[in-house]
Formats: sequence, C-alpha cells, structure tokens
Amino acid sequence: MHNKQRLIFGYIALIPAIIVFCVFIVYPVINTFYLSFCNYRTQTIRQGPQWIGFANYAQMFSDDKMWTALKFTVLFTLISVVLESVLGMLCALIMNRQGKTRALVCAMILIPWCIPTVVSGLMWNYIFAESYGVLNYLLQLTGLTSGAVRWLTDSNYAFLSILISDVWKTVPYMSLLMLSALKTVDASFLEAAQIDGANKVQSFFKISMPCMKPIIIVAVMFRTIQSFRIYDLIRVLTNGGPQGKTTSLTIYTITQYTTYGNMGYGAALAVLTFIISMIIAVCFQDGVKSKLEV
Amino acid sequence: MQAVHSKPKSTVVKNIGLGVFTVLFVLMIVAPFLWLLLAAFKTGKELYSMPVQILPSGFNFQNFADAFKMQPLASYIVNSLIVAILSTVLIIIIASLVSFALARTQIKGKRLVLLMLLSISLLPPVTILNPIYLMMSNLKMMNTTYGLALVLVAIELPTAAWYLMSFFQTIPDALEESAMIDGANVVTIFCRILMPLVAPGVFTVSIMTFIAVWNNYLFASVLNPSKKARTVTVALTMYAGETTTPWNTIAAAAIVSCVPLVIMVLICQKRIVSGMVDGAVKG
Repeated sequence: MHNKQRLIFGYIALIPAIIVFCVFIVYPVINTFYLSFCNYRTQTIRQGPQWIGFANYAQMFSDDKMWTALKFTVLFTLISVVLESVLGMLCALIMNRQGKTRALVCAMILIPWCIPTVVSGLMWNYIFAESYGVLNYLLQLTGLTSGAVRWLTDSNYAFLSILISDVWKTVPYMSLLMLSALKTVDASFLEAAQIDGANKVQSFFKISMPCMKPIIIVAVMFRTIQSFRIYDLIRVLTNGGPQGKTTSLTIYTITQYTTYGNMGYGAALAVLTFIISMIIAVCFQDGVKSKLEV
Repeated sequence: MQAVHSKPKSTVVKNIGLGVFTVLFVLMIVAPFLWLLLAAFKTGKELYSMPVQILPSGFNFQNFADAFKMQPLASYIVNSLIVAILSTVLIIIIASLVSFALARTQIKGKRLVLLMLLSISLLPPVTILNPIYLMMSNLKMMNTTYGLALVLVAIELPTAAWYLMSFFQTIPDALEESAMIDGANVVTIFCRILMPLVAPGVFTVSIMTFIAVWNNYLFASVLNPSKKARTVTVALTMYAGETTTPWNTIAAAAIVSCVPLVIMVLICQKRIVSGMVDGAVKG
C-alpha cells in the first residue's frame, strides 16, 4: 500500500523536471537541427524558414573561418584540459601533505571559482594591457623581456593570454576535485606497496591512479566539455581577435546570429558544436556510465 | 641509524618546500584579484602612471560612485538578484523532487532520468541559444527576469540534482520506516522528515546554484539586452567606451558585483568544499 503510494509520488516528482527538459532542451535542440537545413535570416524573418537541404553544411565545410575557429577551439581544449588536469593533480598532491594551512588554501581556491568569468576576463585584460599593464611592467623590470609584449593583440600571445586566464580560473577548482580523488585512495594499499619496495612515483601510477580513475574521468570529461564551449572569457579578453585568430566555435556561431543575422547557417554551426560535444562524451564512456548509476 | 638521522633533516626540507608552495599558490590565486581591488581605489592618474604605482594614494570611493552613475548599476544588481533567487528556489524544488525519486524510490526508468540530466550538462548552450531566443520573443518573455530565470533553471538543474542526490542517499531508511509505521504518507515524509534532514545540503547547493546563475553571461546577454532588464555580468562589459577603457570604474563595478559572492563563499567555505568533494566522490 505504502509502497505503491511511494512509487506514484516518485513518478509525479519527475514531472516538473521533465517539462523543463522538454521545453528548454529537447524542443530547442530539435529546432536547431531543423533550422540548420533552412535559409532563415533576421532580415527576412517574416518569411519564416525555407528548406534548403544541406546547403548550410556545404557552406560550412568550405568556410575557412569555420575551420580556423574549429582548429582554435580543438587546440585550446586539448592544451587547456591537459595542462589544467596535470597542474590540478600536482597541486592536489602537495595540498594532500599540508597540515593546518590546507584550510586556508581551500578557502582561497574558492575565489577564482566563484567570481564571474566576465570579471576574471576583465581582470586579466587589465593585467595584460600593453602600455600600462602590470605584467609587462614586471617582465621589463626583471629584464625577462626587453619591450612590451602585445599580450592581447599579437596572435601568438593572445592564445597564451586566454590560456593563462583560463588556468587561473580553473586549476584551483580542479585541484580540489583531484584532492577529493586522492582521499579515496586506501592508505593501506600504499603502505603495502612501500613495504614491497615500490617508490613514490611507482605507487602513484600503479596504485593511486587506478583508485582515483573514476573520479578523475568524470572531472576531466566535464572540463573538456566546458573548455570546448569557451565563450565568456574570449568575449571580454580578445573578442575573437586579432584577425579572428582566437575566435572559438561558440563566438563564431554567435557572430553569425548577431552580426549577420544568418540563423540557418548559425544553426548548422551549433549542430557541429553539438556533435563534437557528443563525440567528446563518447570518448569518456566510463565517465558517462558512472553518471548513469544511482 | 642512518635512517633515524636523515629523517628530521628531510622533514625540515619538506616543510620549507610545502611552505614555499603554499605561499606561491595562494599568491598566484590572490594577487590578480588583489590587483583588481587596488585598481578600484586608484585615480585615473595613478592608474596609468609609469612606473606602475602599486598602492592607491588612499581609499578613494569616487570610482564606486562613478560605477553607479555611468550605468544604473543598482537596478542591474536588483535584476541579477531577482533572477538568481527565482532560479535557485525553482531549481531546489525541482531538483529535490528528482533526487528523492532517484535516490529513495524504486521507480523504473531511473537511467533515463539520469541520461536526461547528463545530456543537459553535456549540451553546449549555443546549440539551444537561437530557438530559446525565438521562443522567448514569441512568448513576449524577452527582457524579463522570470524568462531568463526559467531558462537558467533548465541549464543549472543537473548539477543541483546530482549534489542533492548524494545528500538524499545518506539518510538511513530506518527514519522513514518508523514514520511510515506511524501512518505518515509519502508526501508528509518527504516534506516533514526528509527535507529537514537534507537542509544542510540544500543550503550548500543553493549557494552554488545562486553563484552559477548570477555569473551567467551568455543567456543573460542574449535574452535580456534592454537597459531595463540587464544583469550585472552583462553591464560589466559595457563600461568600456569606443576609445577609452576606464579600468578603475570597471574594477569598482566588478568588485561590487562579486564581493557578495566572495563573502558568501568565505563564510560557507567548509560546507562548499565538502559539498564539492562529496559530489565528486559520489560521481
């Protein structure tokens, strides 16, 4: 009797979430797929979308700017995720040995995590400023560079600037997740390995890593997905420049929507972003699986 | 013998190493933010002086006054507050219900619901951006706080549900069973017994959700572009003019926009850290 009542309530409890999901996720995704096969422009919005088949996709694959944006986004994702995971793990390993100071470090870690990406972007923009920025000042003061580095306007440095800002915002949080992963490692395994003569590097890779793998995979999966959709940070740091060298896929898609009013072509780009995100998820199968268990 | 002698020496080296790391790590995290804070008190002259002037000449609050004068920052803060509170309340209600169903009932199709949550968080926001924009303008919900809040409910729901689920799972079954024997129905059990027990978790998740919604830029900039409905994060990007960038005013506005978050986080840091850790360990 009670069990039946409980089951019914269980199903009813899902209804609000399912409604929200259908209205704000499922319908928009289907609509984007549909619009990607249409000619649909802000300028002629009254005519509605007109079916044009694969024309938007054909345009997309021959669009040099799309390839530039795709290359930038993939490269940025790969470098930032690897760098942030390794740095996060290194910080976590050291934090794991800290005593009283760990609480302080944990508190500080939350600052980059909680402030808006827009604020951290503006902050770094001010630090990277060419003539009056503090970074160039320090670099010249210490003699590391002779002239002012054009952090945001030189295409070689703009990538680095975005990477530095992203690392500042993400590594602290990543190290917290890695620290929680380290906590799941059974100390008795490590002792046993030590007795058997394993050194620290060996026991880290042979014992700690396999224990932490489930948590690390999920953390890295979400980081990869988020890194691939980078938008806010670039918007306030370089706005995609110089000469479109730091235009991410999301920035490029939104430029199509806003500057050109080309909603059909923008939808095709959005579908591309969607498909690549799903491919990333498939690459992290184990992470996906662990999220599908209660 | 040798081992006994070498041990204290290496711990001293280790402690120094740890100390140096701690100082460097904290400095790297705090210094950029501190630099922004200092800029908020600098006059225009101090801001661009060469060699760089590190400290402002005093607590100069002119920049804060300018920040509120150049744009109606106060009303943008109110907008952000309404959106964040509305979203957080809705998310907590919906996510609590979902987490209850997943963690404490034997319903079928749990994997499907989990797949739904996972697919929301894997979905790039740009994929749904334009249809949501079109939908909101058709429904006359553009430039409204509740419209933006509803969209962000969908976006931030999975994270909240995952965290809450780990809290629901920690409650022992015995508590519920005894209430059931006393004749309480499932709704009463949910509201009167389970929710108070997960209240600490709800508190932590509320703060994390509030921060996520407050910080949103993409949807806020697309759905609420009008001057009346703008949120703080969007306003921050609009202080820069065509030719000049008043960094001290921007810094002041940025500090105003995130000081509430920083204070909130520092007060509740233990709960947030343990909440994050539990969420990660739960998977």
